[in-house]
Amino acid sequence: MRRLFRLTRPSTEVSRDLASELQFHLDMRTQELIESGLPPEAARDAALRAFGDLRAVEAECRGIARQRVRERERKANMVGIVQDVRYAWRTLRKTPGFTLVVVLTLALGIGANTAIFSMVRGVLLRPLPYADGQRLVFLQQPATRAGVQNTQFSVAELADYRAQSRALAGIVEYHSMPFILLGRGEPLRVQTGVVSANFFDLLGVRPLLGRGFRPGEDAPGAEPVLVLSYGFWRDRLGGDPGVVGRHFTMNDHVHTVIGVLPPIPQYPGANDVYMPSSACPFRSSETMVRTRVMRMLTLFGRLAPGVSSEQAQVELEGISGRLHAEYADAYPAGDGFGIRVTPLQAQLTAQARPTLLLLLGTALFVLLIACANVANLSLARLVRREREMALRAALGADRARIFRQLLAEGLLLSLAAAAAGLVFAAGGLGLLTAFAARMTPRAGEIALDGPVLGFALGLGLLTGLLFALLPALPSRASVVAALKDGGGSTGAGSHRLRSVLVVAQVAVSVVLLVGAGLMLRSVLALQGVDPGFNPEQVLAAKLDLNFSKYTTNEQFQQFHQRLRERLAAQPGVALVASSRGYPLDGRRSFAFDFEIEGHPLEPGRARPQADFRVASPDYFRALGIPLVTGRLFTDRDGLQTPSVAIINQSMARRYWLGQDPVGQRITADTGKTWTTIVGVVGDVRQYGLETDPVDEMYLPFDQIPLREGALVVRGSADPATLARRVKEEVLALDPEQPLAGARPLTEVRADALAPARLTATLLGMFAGLALVITAAGLAGLMAFSVSQRTQEIGVRMALGAARSEVMAMVLRHGLRLVVIGLVAGAAGALALSRAMSGLLYGVTPTDAPTFAATAAVLVSIAALACLIPARRASTVDPMVALRST
Amino acid sequence: MAGSDLYVGTLDLLILKALSWGPMHGYAIGRWIRQTTEDVLSVQEGALYPALHRIQRKGWLEEEWGMTDSGREAKYYRLTPAGRRHLRSEIVRWRAYATAVGAALDAVTA
Repeated sequence: MRRLFRLTRPSTEVSRDLASELQFHLDMRTQELIESGLPPEAARDAALRAFGDLRAVEAECRGIARQRVRERERKANMVGIVQDVRYAWRTLRKTPGFTLVVVLTLALGIGANTAIFSMVRGVLLRPLPYADGQRLVFLQQPATRAGVQNTQFSVAELADYRAQSRALAGIVEYHSMPFILLGRGEPLRVQTGVVSANFFDLLGVRPLLGRGFRPGEDAPGAEPVLVLSYGFWRDRLGGDPGVVGRHFTMNDHVHTVIGVLPPIPQYPGANDVYMPSSACPFRSSETMVRTRVMRMLTLFGRLAPGVSSEQAQVELEGISGRLHAEYADAYPAGDGFGIRVTPLQAQLTAQARPTLLLLLGTALFVLLIACANVANLSLARLVRREREMALRAALGADRARIFRQLLAEGLLLSLAAAAAGLVFAAGGLGLLTAFAARMTPRAGEIALDGPVLGFALGLGLLTGLLFALLPALPSRASVVAALKDGGGSTGAGSHRLRSVLVVAQVAVSVVLLVGAGLMLRSVLALQGVDPGFNPEQVLAAKLDLNFSKYTTNEQFQQFHQRLRERLAAQPGVALVASSRGYPLDGRRSFAFDFEIEGHPLEPGRARPQADFRVASPDYFRALGIPLVTGRLFTDRDGLQTPSVAIINQSMARRYWLGQDPVGQRITADTGKTWTTIVGVVGDVRQYGLETDPVDEMYLPFDQIPLREGALVVRGSADPATLARRVKEEVLALDPEQPLAGARPLTEVRADALAPARLTATLLGMFAGLALVITAAGLAGLMAFSVSQRTQEIGVRMALGAARSEVMAMVLRHGLRLVVIGLVAGAAGALALSRAMSGLLYGVTPTDAPTFAATAAVLVSIAALACLIPARRASTVDPMVALRST
Repeated sequence: MAGSDLYVGTLDLLILKALSWGPMHGYAIGRWIRQTTEDVLSVQEGALYPALHRIQRKGWLEEEWGMTDSGREAKYYRLTPAGRRHLRSEIVRWRAYATAVGAALDAVTA
């Protein structure tokens, strides 16, 4: 009996087989009946009768058989996959070096991307944590010609927009001030959000405990109430569940706690407590309510259903146009007042967006380089494994099977890499969150959550696919054939592909190096910027006095004066000064309009404007701000003496170019009072090292009564001792007076550099990583090429080539790839570096030294990477090489 | 379907038993059952095939195509090791069953 094997049986064959099986039965039965004496016709009928319902039997059998075939195929597939994975595992374990290098390379790439993506998601992609957060808008009142982005809004303006806007379903106000909270032992300086009663309703925030503000609670004379932030309630009040109904004293009024917020990020800023606008002594003061130009409110709105932010913009422009016509005094034509509606989400992330996108792009480039390297390694490995593949092909494995094998290996590697990458990302997350916190209030929302995990997994799967697909590419048509004849005919195609991969790696590395180089040059430029003051040995602290306790200017000035005297008497303290703020403190100064005596305002021109600061006499010496001309303040400049001012050089240049401003007079109240300029001091970069100094005017601390204050202390004692002394002296004078954040100015200056330095560091790390991976890829390619060309090299040497010539040949080959990559990369960098121009300082995106340095670094690293294989080539023994055919 | 007067599982058992001698095609299995049971278990012959396919699906039979002595291509069935084990346990079960039922039918007291 001869047997025919049929290994596979598609389901169409099932029917054919079944038909012939049943036909066979009927034929045999008929034959049997004929042999027993029946005529053929009758025999046939009898056979059919004995069989029963032929159609039904056939249908039933076909159903069963098809099911069986399907089950068998499924099982075979399962077994195949398990086999593939098991085989892949064994293969990878046999080459631990390769496996480790691949997993680490990919893990770094995936880790970097996951970490950066978690930032991008937390800050840019995630919707605001408020009900329908995308309908919230931020309102700005720019005065473009006066150079002000947002003058903010006055109480009167809020009322007008509220009354007239239909496009916004609601408008809320916000400002934040420090107050002093009494009622639990030590006095606390609490940052207080002052908001309208509908604030939490409009944002869609429901309190965790108690309730939010009710309509009318922001009406003048309403009972003062407080809503606590979650953090304040938990950290300062121990999470007291019975806190609702408790009383605290603020600004001499008893405030009742009515609710606690849930633990959500707070926008636009983090506050300890919230109070309705009526409870804020400034916001509810007579002048603030009545004066249209007293602008201190930040406004948010919620778009009415079906209204876009663009439509709201159009409507508000109409309203503001009417207001400008009606109250011409409040909107000088020369200032160019306007109105702007921006989605809140865009507003909160505007500063962080360019940096985050740059980092994401960079991280993706690093991953690309890592993938190229891995593909390169696996190509080399594939060529080395040709014999194994040929054997498997000979044993009946088809192309799909071999591909599946590669895929299993790729996925195994890349999933391991994704897991390791997640560990890296988790490790770096704290650092990155702190980094993002300098640019956006949304930093607290950065987390390794589901979508981020999905992202990492997706990257892993993608790289795994790439790993399997790329090596299969050049030899796709010929893989089995080529492998079957056991030769190296796949070598040529894959070698070309590997060269292309290395060139691409070099090119991408160039782009990353240029980016990092530009950022580094920016940081160096920033570090070299003269901030206009000397931060060494200076301690600065904010000192906000209790508004209700220090009611008169005299009390306030006396406190500061006594504090200065007591501190100055301490050992190691040289100079003490009072002021409203200090450089780089992040506090926006007030700007005010003024007129110069003898220079009447031309109609239609913007009124002269300058930031104003207050300073006690020693302020300039303490901070090392140089006096250019005139005099500094003295203790005699007080409330009883004529009003005087010191201006900075920018202001002197703008209005008195080539003249002496000392002795000139200006007025801020259209001539009711006049202030005499007594001196000019150097410019100070108040708002950031990269921000040019603005026009500034200093007024004597004793002439401008402001409760928001700061203390600047220069001394040889170490900062911690200084800080302790300041705190002790403050408490000695007033045990209810808290002192916030005493810090060395050197630290403040370092902080101002931090975002640029961190960006540069991250870009540098990425570029370094890219360089190392690329160098490894290049070295690998060259080593492989040398090993493949051993015979050719042997022939050359046998024909008289010197070792140095062989070395030069290998080096030339490697460097040719590098130069091609370099040129392509430089072109790419020229095109891409413009995208980061907003992040650069003191350097153009096409900075020639950066490009030159990049080329030099790359070529030297590449030469180094080629050197080892080149040396090996030069030590080839011609005899051995020729014999090993 | 045909075979309704067979006790449940009887046909399967007979098929397995038939194949215990060696590979057979369906027709031969049917003929063996007819001859050995002397046509007592009169079955519609067609009922054999769904039973064969069902048993094959359970993994007790393997098919293989071969030539008959007369030179025709036919589908042969062969017991798998699992089928052989199943046959052994089924025989034991059937005997116990038949004995029990027989004893009950032979009982003389109620």
